[in-house]
Amino acid sequence: MAQQHDNLEVEDFDVLDAKIPTKTMTLNMGPSHPATHGTVRFNIELDGENIVKLDPELGFLHRGFEKSCENVSWTQCLPYTDRLNYVSALCNNFGFLSAVEKLAQIEIPERAKYIRTIGAEIHRICDHLTGTGATAMELGGFSPFLYAIEARDLLWDRIAELTGARLTTSFGRIGGVDRDLPEGWIQKVKDSLDRVAVLRDEISTLLTHNRIFLDRMRHTGRITGEDAVNFGFTGPCLRAAGVDYDVRKAHPYWVYDRMDFQVPLGSEGDNFDRYYMRIEEMKQSDAIIRQCFEQMEPGPIIIDDWRYTLPPKPQVYSTIEGVIGHFKVIMEGIKIPKGECYAYTESPNGELGWYLVSDGSGRPYKVHCRAPGIPLMSGLEHMVRGAILPDLVPTFDTINMIGGEVEQ
Amino acid sequence: MSEQALQRVAEKFPEAIVHGYSQHGDETLVITREHLVDVLQYCHDDPELDLKMPSSLTCVDYIDETPRFELVYSLYSITKRHRLRIKVRVSAEDPSVPSVLHLYRGMDYWEKYCWDMYGIQFTDRSVPVERLWMYEEFEGHPLRKDYPLRGRQGLIPERNIRDIYRGPGPGPGSVPASRPAVPRPSQLPVIK
Amino acid sequence: MSVEKKPVTMVNVTVDGMPTSVPAGTNLVEAAKTVGVDIPHYCYHAGLSIAANCRMCLVETSNSPPGKLVPGCQIPVAEGQSITTNSPKVKEQQRAVEEFLLLHHPVDCAICDQAGECRLQDYFQEYDYRPSRFETPKWMSRKRVDLGPTIVLDQERCINCTRCIRFMDEVAKDPVLGMFGRGTRQVIDVFPGKVLDNNYSGNIVDICPVGALLNKDNRFRARAYFLTATPSICTGCSRGCNTFVDHFQGVPYRYRPRENMEVNEHWMCDHGRSSYHQLYDGRLLEAEVGQQQVEAGEGLRAAAAALKPLAGSLAVVVSPVLGLEDALAVMLLAKEGLQASEVYLSGRADGEADFYLLREDRSPNRKGVELAAQAFGLELRRFDQLTKARPKGVLLAGVDVPVEASGFADWLSGVEQVVALAANRDPVSAAAKIALPLATHAEGEGTFVNFDGRAQRYLRAYPASGSSRAGWQWATALLAELGYAYAYASAGEVFADLSKRLPEGALGDFDWKKTPRAVVKGVTPLPGGTVDGRPPGWRELIPLRTPSNNDGSSAA
Repeated sequence: MAQQHDNLEVEDFDVLDAKIPTKTMTLNMGPSHPATHGTVRFNIELDGENIVKLDPELGFLHRGFEKSCENVSWTQCLPYTDRLNYVSALCNNFGFLSAVEKLAQIEIPERAKYIRTIGAEIHRICDHLTGTGATAMELGGFSPFLYAIEARDLLWDRIAELTGARLTTSFGRIGGVDRDLPEGWIQKVKDSLDRVAVLRDEISTLLTHNRIFLDRMRHTGRITGEDAVNFGFTGPCLRAAGVDYDVRKAHPYWVYDRMDFQVPLGSEGDNFDRYYMRIEEMKQSDAIIRQCFEQMEPGPIIIDDWRYTLPPKPQVYSTIEGVIGHFKVIMEGIKIPKGECYAYTESPNGELGWYLVSDGSGRPYKVHCRAPGIPLMSGLEHMVRGAILPDLVPTFDTINMIGGEVEQ
Repeated sequence: MSEQALQRVAEKFPEAIVHGYSQHGDETLVITREHLVDVLQYCHDDPELDLKMPSSLTCVDYIDETPRFELVYSLYSITKRHRLRIKVRVSAEDPSVPSVLHLYRGMDYWEKYCWDMYGIQFTDRSVPVERLWMYEEFEGHPLRKDYPLRGRQGLIPERNIRDIYRGPGPGPGSVPASRPAVPRPSQLPVIK
Repeated sequence: MSVEKKPVTMVNVTVDGMPTSVPAGTNLVEAAKTVGVDIPHYCYHAGLSIAANCRMCLVETSNSPPGKLVPGCQIPVAEGQSITTNSPKVKEQQRAVEEFLLLHHPVDCAICDQAGECRLQDYFQEYDYRPSRFETPKWMSRKRVDLGPTIVLDQERCINCTRCIRFMDEVAKDPVLGMFGRGTRQVIDVFPGKVLDNNYSGNIVDICPVGALLNKDNRFRARAYFLTATPSICTGCSRGCNTFVDHFQGVPYRYRPRENMEVNEHWMCDHGRSSYHQLYDGRLLEAEVGQQQVEAGEGLRAAAAALKPLAGSLAVVVSPVLGLEDALAVMLLAKEGLQASEVYLSGRADGEADFYLLREDRSPNRKGVELAAQAFGLELRRFDQLTKARPKGVLLAGVDVPVEASGFADWLSGVEQVVALAANRDPVSAAAKIALPLATHAEGEGTFVNFDGRAQRYLRAYPASGSSRAGWQWATALLAELGYAYAYASAGEVFADLSKRLPEGALGDFDWKKTPRAVVKGVTPLPGGTVDGRPPGWRELIPLRTPSNNDGSSAA
């Protein structure tokens, strides 16, 4: 469908370009700029309106995530992971927990796997809604943003019912999740998803065929598949460039191998493909959640091993075994066996990897978060160099840089 | 699948391998610093390995061991769907490794990260390595194990930037008087 | 404490597949330690006889009867023996023993002082980690058995390992504890008519693997898992027992003996154990001139002004409670700054020695001060000669005096100028015209030389309270005021510079930089580092207890 609007080629502008040699100008954009919705500052060197050099300055949201994690117990790291990609906290929570479980060689119960899949996919939709809505807003369309926020808040309400918080969920525990789905929640989510689908289609209708939107998005911020791989792109940005890599398909975890879903692929690697990738992925996530509801069965939600989980409260209050188990896990932390591992899940922006080192004590020796946004940010200059300044805005939007995870 | 990749590199560079092992399904090669670029070049170019994606690069500070720092390169192959971890040990006295920026442009930010957080120097870089998250005037490298958890550093003097709206500021070297003076680490007496 | 040298035959054994070689007669627990394998145990203690009654250390060996497990603490190694500590059978045994020991254990962790350093907790989490299958009510027993002036016993928590009984029999040589009853009713108690008032009774609290025996001194005072243990030396007598100072947020809570087979083996006496109170009770924390609190700098200038005109006619009194570095710096001050040719040696009054660790001389560093005086060629005089000498002024480095303090204070009031470096408030520091606050040994680092010339390092546990400074810091500061520049930044620099003057080989092969074992941190410490001057383990919480001034106001 994109081809219909393909009547204005970028090359046409080259002919019109007057080659007037001018001095370059340095422009400061950010750190608090309406079009840099993360707190990031760009030092842009401009030749006329063309970007010669782009130097992002990161670190405004740096809060010592890794240092903090090294000084608390494994469980206490969980709230810090909420704040990485704060739009999709559950993906971070569960990604981190999966990595710790890989290190401890724990197999979590079936139902916990389903709950994790549902939570991660709901938050994936939230993240994509935010990214898409913000893109539209920064290109001048405010309505899609409002629709996106309405849909997102609907889902966040469901997340709040599940976890107790809209953003900082801290949901899940090593070995499973800490509470089961609330009563009647499944139907509520289904209803919410119906409404989200309506809103999503509305956004898509407003944007996908919108001439102004297309002019800004098509052929801008282009990157080839080869370059994207070389920069370490993952997630929608990589798939938009036509490279088929989705952790959920390539290395299925939790219950993704039982799900029937497609991985949408782009061809151009431009901003429009990245935008459209997110619209399509939301549909797939919707399907995955509904399949999970069909498939999941009652059962335990957390493993029964007092080395890793807290004993049930009645045991803690009345038996010495429970008290000791509780005391040890809380005061000294869960003793994860010595070792190292790299574990990765598909977060909304791409591969969220964790390189963990444990020295056998109750605290991590090293927690390295391979945030998907960092390679995307490092490729930003490549994508916009030579382009005009207004192209930076949609490009920066569609890579969906999240300060929380890029600046840790 | 990745065991074969590990074997392939090990056979190609027998002299470079310090140690090779697999833990929790992660294949790891510990190599010498001298062979780092060669090994990574081979991983990148070899069609059987095809490790074209730089997944991440990080560093671990084993403060009680020598050599002290361990750089961990994580590579991934989109076509072969396998992953290889390559580790290099560098000492505290000479914490430098050759840059692999010419092979993997995505390593740019990770190398900045290792410099910023651990003070690892990257030689032969086409662009100078700068701090990724901390500010230029920051003293020390915060993720080193000997950097204190709540190490506070005082305010830095104002940078020499002309404000075109408000006119020249108080000028370089001045610190707002309203803020409590916390000494910079370099101004502190040495406590032993 | 001398170990007789005998020809040692080595025995080769394998522990979990790892070969090792240990002297003949070593038991399996110790043999396993050499390859880093910990065999769990309750009743076994390296310093006591073997009881083998807890059954926690049962392991499989290649030469045990088929299907039988053997107690690792009791069985000596045999040539070619292979020891298995992680087979399913051993694991099940450890789990079963742990479950058994917890059957009647009260649900006390929340109020138990041992929580955090309790073997029952450690081994439960490592070997058992599952709920109890026991459904009948727990057997109740006496919760507070007053064994004597220092020790309280909780019979419910006791696991009957008999370590305390064996200690009192074998080490303290005062067999007052015994086992009474049988089966579930089996309890530890003192024999009828006896009281546990031995000078070594505190050790049974340390060796108790659970929270059954508690010291009245620090019961319900601090949570064990918050305490950071810093290696130190006891200052109770000239034995120089190796200790840990357990402290939290700059407040010491107890001493524990640190193993040193050549000095104190595993033990320390109650006299020394209680001496930690001096580290925070009745401290002098600010400089005082004429009983008026002043800034530390003002006090320093006043002291220098008072001492300067008296140079040459001043009596310098050095207390052997100061460390070697402090003593060296004070001697330097006496010799160069004050032109003295003699110093007086004070110190605590002698007490009674006992059969084991406690020495007559109750000052930790008499030997060190003697060496320091010798290093500067200063004549060392006995304390009783001071009152006869009628000096115009007195500089007291440390206010510990071997005579009655108030009497000496009266004498001091007749002296024109008295400058005292005092850690604690007492009549002597009150009689001083100028009193400068002195840091305790837990607040600085240095060396004590014990009665037989062994130099031992103590480490800084927490920063000095108030304006108090170490003896060497005051001495160098006074020297600077008097016009002599000695820029020492640390006790290490003082030692490196001034120990050159010590007689050749006076300290044997002592190496200042070789510190005792690393600091054992509390469960929730923050990591070390002193970029901003805060010590390792510092947490910005409200201290549980602050060092107190005598007037009752707490120090900042």
